[in-house]
Amino acid sequence: MSGPAPATLAGLESIAAQALECARRAGAAHAEACVESARDFSVRVRGGAVESLTQSGTRGLGLRVIVDDAVGFVSSTDLKPEALADLARRAVTLARFSTPDPANVLPTPGDDAEAGATAALAIFDPELVALSPDRRIEMALVLERLTLAHDPRVKRIDDVGLSSQEGASVIANTQGLARAWSETTLGLFAVALADDRDGKQRSGVYGVARRVLADLPPLEAVAREAARRAVARIGARPVPSARVPVVMHPDIAAAWLTEMYQAFTGEAVLKRSSWLTGRLDQMIAAPRITIVDDGRMPRGLGSSPCDGEGVPTRRNLLVDRGRLAMLTYDTYTARRAGARSTGSATRSYDSVPGVGHRNLHIAAGDESPECILARVDRGFYMDDQGSFGFNEVTGDYSFQAQGAWIERGERAFPVEGVTVASSSLDMLRAIEAVGNDLRFDNQVASPTLLIGEMTVSGAGGE
Amino acid sequence: MALLPDAEPDLSRLLDRGLVDELLSLGLAGGAEFAEVYGEHTVRSGFTLEEDRVRTSEYAVLEGVGVRAVRGDQTGYAYADGFSPEALREAARVAARIARDGASAARGDQGPRAFRVVDAPAPFRLERPAPIALDEAGKVALCRRANDAARAHDGRIHEVTVTLVDASKRFVVANSEGRWAEDRQYRTRLAVVALALAGDQRQQGFASGGGCVEAGYFERERTPEAIARESAGIAVTLLGAREPEAGAYPVIVGPGWGGVLVHECFGHGMEGDTIRRETSIRASQLGQRVAARGVTIVDSGIVPHSRGSFRVDDEGTPAQRTTLVEDGILTGYLWDWLNARLTGHRPTGNGRRSSYRHFPLCRMTNTYIEAGREAPQALLASVKRGLYCKSLGGGSVSPADGNFSFQVTEAYQIEDGRLTWPVRNATLTGNGNDAMLKIDGVADDLSINGTTGSCGKDGQWSPVGVGQPTVRFTEMTVGGTLA
Repeated sequence: MSGPAPATLAGLESIAAQALECARRAGAAHAEACVESARDFSVRVRGGAVESLTQSGTRGLGLRVIVDDAVGFVSSTDLKPEALADLARRAVTLARFSTPDPANVLPTPGDDAEAGATAALAIFDPELVALSPDRRIEMALVLERLTLAHDPRVKRIDDVGLSSQEGASVIANTQGLARAWSETTLGLFAVALADDRDGKQRSGVYGVARRVLADLPPLEAVAREAARRAVARIGARPVPSARVPVVMHPDIAAAWLTEMYQAFTGEAVLKRSSWLTGRLDQMIAAPRITIVDDGRMPRGLGSSPCDGEGVPTRRNLLVDRGRLAMLTYDTYTARRAGARSTGSATRSYDSVPGVGHRNLHIAAGDESPECILARVDRGFYMDDQGSFGFNEVTGDYSFQAQGAWIERGERAFPVEGVTVASSSLDMLRAIEAVGNDLRFDNQVASPTLLIGEMTVSGAGGE
Repeated sequence: MALLPDAEPDLSRLLDRGLVDELLSLGLAGGAEFAEVYGEHTVRSGFTLEEDRVRTSEYAVLEGVGVRAVRGDQTGYAYADGFSPEALREAARVAARIARDGASAARGDQGPRAFRVVDAPAPFRLERPAPIALDEAGKVALCRRANDAARAHDGRIHEVTVTLVDASKRFVVANSEGRWAEDRQYRTRLAVVALALAGDQRQQGFASGGGCVEAGYFERERTPEAIARESAGIAVTLLGAREPEAGAYPVIVGPGWGGVLVHECFGHGMEGDTIRRETSIRASQLGQRVAARGVTIVDSGIVPHSRGSFRVDDEGTPAQRTTLVEDGILTGYLWDWLNARLTGHRPTGNGRRSSYRHFPLCRMTNTYIEAGREAPQALLASVKRGLYCKSLGGGSVSPADGNFSFQVTEAYQIEDGRLTWPVRNATLTGNGNDAMLKIDGVADDLSINGTTGSCGKDGQWSPVGVGQPTVRFTEMTVGGTLA
């Protein structure tokens, strides 16, 4: 079952076909249409009542044309036939301002049955579609109640909400490629606030998203984790600067992996803007590290039958037991590098395809997080961070961090106001343990990691 | 003359008053106290030049209508792409459902009031707005000039990426209290990323120009060459930079973009939603000292030519200048319509939204520290050992506990009152609750950067300006690898 709304998909396919025809008439040698429609639902609750409720449906078209090897791109929400003709003319005119480049090609359909094999991916859930707005609101209200009920120190919430999206996508091009699929996503999040000294509040943020309703963790588990995170922060203080082992919570490790992804793209290596330039087939990480970008993981938030250009997605093994095994490409950058597309084009209807990740993760190891912690005599457990602190061309890492100080294998007290710094290559090589706690709450995931040594900067020297 | 003239639609024809009136009535049906209709037509164009080629030329249209219904502190929102009356009526009905349990609400049976057009002065006028006065060839030429200048700046510049993105936005907003407002906004941004290589070393620089600017801005005020040289200069400087010394010590933040610090670590806690919900530490601090003497903090939607400026906000409230802190004392907050109404304040022109696909939130516009009296050199001269941050990158703050951090993109070590070697990979951290109290010097060189800022909140992005003069902090924690 790839979606309940064949009428919708057929409607989108018809718009795509019209857009391609308009592009041909306007003089495009090649064209690609991407049409997306989505039903969005979002509820925020507070004080046992709905604070805001947004429900809507959207539909948009992106049209990429190639004229004399140069690219023009247009997008619009106005899909009336006369508007499509105008858009196509604009795209063709715009292409004259781009530089001709023989690497500007569109993928051909190939003989891959994979792209049609949506069912195995299980990214569409009729039960999620059937879930009534009232039931969704009720889930958010229950989540708020449970978040507040968990610990007496959690007296209020900053935000609790549920959002969902039911989407249908079509990609078609003048090479005869045509793909269509449907997908669903539902996300829940809670931000708990716990009182600390001096009027300070501590927030605990936790959110999960899933493709299918049956995969959703119990509301109680989401609430408990948000409350736990807020309470764990009470009394946090800085520590003196030191070079110590750092245990990364899965969220922190996943955030690092997200930052690193750019360096694995063929485009960055081609431009030499990647810190992995010249390291293909070399050991870049400890042998216990395997990094995978899997576009075909069943029920994966990043799974899709094909990429943003209609090329079938794959399971890409980026780092194989420490060795940089491959780089990722879309059709254009693959042609430039003399490689093949790795099914890594990502986009929305209103953007030109570019290279991006899908279910990107560090493969699980076999140690429990508790065992990993127990290995550390004195160090830092990092479980929250600021948003900025990564240098994408050097891989240098310097993030404001919060967490706990580790003494004799246990969390001794909560820590805030420190910065954790190193460089990604040093960190990858210094990974001493990989947890068995890999879980996909987002598109990017990692188990707990132990990094042998990083600089933790605090309020002063030792 | 643009080769692709935009057929700028007449919004009041696509969304005539009769239809708006009907949508507002539908929004009120069922007991809502307030309904609002927001119609938008936005055209964006974009050019990306990298590896010496114009890789793509883009054009996008985003148009549609959002309907908001409010009862008490509850908001219902729905939107439709395009202007099909039937789709808009459905959106109004869906938005109205928020009030479905309140059929007996006080004003539920009243219709919308007659419209009065909001008459607000324009903070500045554009004779030839860059997005429509420059044609495609002219925009590409600006990108090429920037590319050439960056490459010519230094032999170590290996790669350059130039993007020019602009938007022409027009909107109409009308509500059941009889407000009717329209605005047109034009924003342009030219950004240059330069990559410098030397042996195994690689570093990147960034600089940008633009705002709500005239076509002539790129000739008269900030040329593509100037933007390119700044970006390339940073990249090359960083090649020879050292790692920062980790620890807490005096920090001076340079004028202009450094104001991102006050935006993140102070401004967010002054937004009306966090004040009403009491999730901000500032909620109880009106009249209290929250910054050092001599520190005055302002949010102003009327800064000329900044991308954070406008005539009316996305609720139709005229833009204004709001003093948040006067000589260190907290004097006022930022309010959108809903949070102002729930707390008995007047909206301050801070109700903003990314597009018709979102309901408005309380947002900053151009937030800055006012000029002080000291000379920038004097602030530097008295620092024995510290860090001078000429340019900051992105920053973020945790609203509950106030912990913030900023990436420093260009910095120099201060030794005995002088700038010495360049420093890279520094991160500034601290707590917003007391950061403004740690200021011990404000210079007279105020500069507001209205060219590049975008602020994210609840999944919505708003163009903003930030600014400050040279400001000295007694101490901030600098993160780095040298412990």
